Amino acid sequence: MGILKFLAKRLVFSVFVLLGLSILIFLISRVLPGDPVRMALGPRAPEWAVQQLREQMHLDKPLPVQYYYWLSGALRGDLGQSLFTRRAVIDDIKEFLPATMELALFAGVIMAVFGILFGAIAGRYSNTWIDNVVRIFSYIGVVTPSFVFAILFLLLFGYLLGWFPTAGRLSPWIQRPPVITGMVTVDSLITGNWAALGDALWHMVLPAVALALGGMAQEARITRATISDNLKKDYIASAKGFGVPERLVMLKYLLKPSLIPTVSILGLDFASLLGNAFLVELIFNWPGFSRYGINAMLRKDLNAIAAVVMVLGVVFVTVNILVDLVVAWLDPRIRLGAERGK
Amino acid sequence: MRRGTVFVLSVLALVAFGLAAWGEGERVLRITFAWPTYIDPAIGSDFSSSSAFVNLYDTLVYPDVNGDPQPHVAVKWEVSEDGTVWTFYLRDDVYFHDGTPLTAEDVKFSMDRITTIGQGYGFLFVDRVVKTEVVDDYTVRFYLKEPFGPFLTTLYRLYIVNKDLVEANIKRPGPYGEWGDYGTEFLLTHDAGSGPYMVKEFRTEEELVMVKNPDYWLPIPEEAPDVVRFIGTTEPATIRTMMARRELEISDQWQPQEAWKALDAIEGVEITSFFPGTSFYLMLHTRKPPTDDIHFRRAMAWAFDYETVIRDIFPGSIQSRGPVAQSLPGHDPTVFQFHRDLDKAREELQKSKYYDQLDQIEVEYHWIAEVPDEEKVALLFMANMAEIGINVKVVKVPWMSVVEEMAQMETSPNIVSIFVAPHYPEAGSILESRYHSSSAPTWEQNEWLLDETFDKMLEDALATVDREERFRKYAELQHYIVDLCPSIFLFDQVEKHAYQAAYIDWPAARGEVIPVMGYNMAARFIKVYPEKREALLKGG
Repeated sequence: MGILKFLAKRLVFSVFVLLGLSILIFLISRVLPGDPVRMALGPRAPEWAVQQLREQMHLDKPLPVQYYYWLSGALRGDLGQSLFTRRAVIDDIKEFLPATMELALFAGVIMAVFGILFGAIAGRYSNTWIDNVVRIFSYIGVVTPSFVFAILFLLLFGYLLGWFPTAGRLSPWIQRPPVITGMVTVDSLITGNWAALGDALWHMVLPAVALALGGMAQEARITRATISDNLKKDYIASAKGFGVPERLVMLKYLLKPSLIPTVSILGLDFASLLGNAFLVELIFNWPGFSRYGINAMLRKDLNAIAAVVMVLGVVFVTVNILVDLVVAWLDPRIRLGAERGK
Repeated sequence: MRRGTVFVLSVLALVAFGLAAWGEGERVLRITFAWPTYIDPAIGSDFSSSSAFVNLYDTLVYPDVNGDPQPHVAVKWEVSEDGTVWTFYLRDDVYFHDGTPLTAEDVKFSMDRITTIGQGYGFLFVDRVVKTEVVDDYTVRFYLKEPFGPFLTTLYRLYIVNKDLVEANIKRPGPYGEWGDYGTEFLLTHDAGSGPYMVKEFRTEEELVMVKNPDYWLPIPEEAPDVVRFIGTTEPATIRTMMARRELEISDQWQPQEAWKALDAIEGVEITSFFPGTSFYLMLHTRKPPTDDIHFRRAMAWAFDYETVIRDIFPGSIQSRGPVAQSLPGHDPTVFQFHRDLDKAREELQKSKYYDQLDQIEVEYHWIAEVPDEEKVALLFMANMAEIGINVKVVKVPWMSVVEEMAQMETSPNIVSIFVAPHYPEAGSILESRYHSSSAPTWEQNEWLLDETFDKMLEDALATVDREERFRKYAELQHYIVDLCPSIFLFDQVEKHAYQAAYIDWPAARGEVIPVMGYNMAARFIKVYPEKREALLKGG
């Protein structure tokens, strides 16, 4: 019951956060210099054509009226037209978001599995050569932007060795699966198109690993620090003293509580992958949401900007709630506290 | 575990099979472009859209390598004595991709549609074509508001759409009254053309895939590509890798200097250069002190170091000779060209009314923030002018702010550096957009020339139907402008592309350049030799 109340409070709070975000992004995008319609139609378009499109998009109305149109549309699932793709923004999102979600999920799994694994090993063997190696690689991972990895991988594994494809989500000769979820791997699985599945995974390796490395290094560092701290705590010494097997101590008594900070950061890292994948998507010509978002900003595509920011907002809010739930599951003190209504 | 291994091996085998199955004899031409690519002829007007149009659609007339109009869908045409009524006689053997015959009704529909929507290349016809009349199935007549000599040239941009197909796909209600959305949603991802290629797949911001039209009314060489892919990326590392792996035949033009060098180093890849008719100008405000003084302007023109710009900052470009790019039909090669001569610069400066106040004067120079190389030109200019005692203040300004400040005479700076491309491939286009009084409040003119004599001469030239006579008048206008020195004519921009010289034959790379944007990407003229590609891959 306590958890449900906690969840309900968070959901109500999230609605206000998203509403505030929508007002903020609406205002910011509209005060930027330049006429977005003129930018979209080009400098030579006749003024009446520009005015016509302005009216069509309600840009000739005062800001509060524009916001009313936008919000009432958004609540009906209509996020307006994109000035550049010339179609409904919701259609753009349906096309581009799954591409980035697929990439981010793949990168997220790499980030979580290897980040925690390397962190746990380094923590367990802290101050040994294993720890030192993991730490050095973690530092490199944390300080190197993902686009640098992307270019390195592209040149090494794509250009020099030729092991992986360098652009797009599928090879041209592969039959595309029908769009069900928009994620090529999932759609290929559903339709049993194994050639497309293999090809999609093959295309995803380089961008996903490039995207995951920074977060993976971060997760490894945090896990390593928490594990090596917790290792020194009395309850671990007691467990060992009572003769609890090493493996059980590691997995049950040490790893689970040590994952709390990692999970919190992991959630945020995952959510930020959606927005930060821009350069990786650009380098691997991945038709994703992040690239769409940045292009929308460069082109001052008002409805697209608002939609992208709102989608990212929803993802962040959702991930935060999920992280709170996972942390509550991992940490009985939080769970029990919530149940007692604290 | 065993099941997992089997699965992974199966996937790898399928991938390997896919690899092996690809490329056997299929002629594919892949070109990278900066997105967006619009395939609706009433919407797009940029490079990639124009390149798509020439492959998907037909036009009444087609440009040759001199930019001269040649019969295409129209076998012949005639013009009334006053130059306002143009009649075109069409071929009767042209069919759209769905098998419908192309008739005068389709031409009228295409003109009505582009002038009603007003976007893309619509500006060439809006307020110019007052009526289009279907005389019979294969004769169409355009009525112009006033005589316009380059009308034939503008028709390179009237891409004929299939009226029946578009009408069947109109969504109502829409912004165009009884015409609903005029088929704009449908034509966003489908073609309605009769061109040598047809849309197979269109993925927004990613790829446009076109296949050869087997029933095209003109012969297409066997070696022409079966499939043409426009790929939406300009990322240098990606382009370089794709080129090296022979996964790309022609690169986009937006690569940085170092990328061209890297691409040139790949075996079998060469860099080709065209001059698309775009020029880079330092636009001098002729109504604002001190650039309102002709001697002051000439002094700057003499003092500038053109050689360094074309050698080091924009290598491959050529110094402009007057206001019209040298590759643009109608350019006059006898026009005077300034060069760096500090003595002449000082001589002119002494004649200027501002000569005694040089230490109190500052010339404000704005460059476009989005084009970083422009800063180098600005700094070079500042250094050059300091040599003759002119103080220059260099200001970096975002493009949208430049457009806004150039809309008014008072807010326009002394100098703005901008690339300007012609609207249609003729000198008259650039002369009009750069110096006619009607263009003064636009970003294409910072000069605020407002010269009635020039306006009248230009209007007369544009109303001249006879091409030779018109070009003679353009020549006079170019001399007239250079005498006034309202701009520093810096260089004609070069358009570079890397291409697989070892296995494609591209007429434009051989020097057969059509001076109309997009037309050099007509795939039916490009030959692809997959066997040479295979040999290159095996050898490499």
